Amino acid sequence: MMSDKKKMLYVQTSGMDTPERLYAPFILSMTAVAMGMEASVYFLIKGITVLKKGEAEKVKIGAFPTLKEVMDQAIKAGVKLYACSQSCELLGMPKVNLVSGVSVAGAATLNDLVLESDGVLYF
Amino acid sequence: MVMELDLRGLYCPMPVFRTREEIMKVPIGSTISVIADDPAAAEDIPRWAKRSGNEVLDVKKDGEEVRILIRRLK
Repeated sequence: MMSDKKKMLYVQTSGMDTPERLYAPFILSMTAVAMGMEASVYFLIKGITVLKKGEAEKVKIGAFPTLKEVMDQAIKAGVKLYACSQSCELLGMPKVNLVSGVSVAGAATLNDLVLESDGVLYF
Repeated sequence: MVMELDLRGLYCPMPVFRTREEIMKVPIGSTISVIADDPAAAEDIPRWAKRSGNEVLDVKKDGEEVRILIRRLK
């Protein structure tokens, strides 16, 4: 599992109520992969609301594709997506309703990802 | 002898805290077997184990549950 590649982590705390904040982590993480890095996005607090099945399809701003298209491209590019388990509890969102391709994780994982990453950005 | 640790019913961050507490009770070099049904445990416990200088021997998912074997190294 050890890799020489640089690692980027994007932490998404913004949710469906601020659609203009939702594209950037996917676009940046895909770009990081294209630059030869490994990239992960960790969704917590309201951030997890975009991971509920059927929600990303509803976000479309101006000439941008739907958020679902961008999310699918990121997953296809190899970006790893993590959903905070306790945020799902907090917002009453059953984990079975998450889109596929997302790993459920917790506090130890987020701390570990921050420490192992070369750069971390928060949204 | 492998110590069994049943963490079913506990949720993040408790499985990590309990694993940390219990592994300190076995001698260095011995192995504990943790079973949990917190969906975060399969990511969290191995990461905690590596970060704390212990060795993850195996992670096996079985439906909603995960079993993790950890050797105490320090």
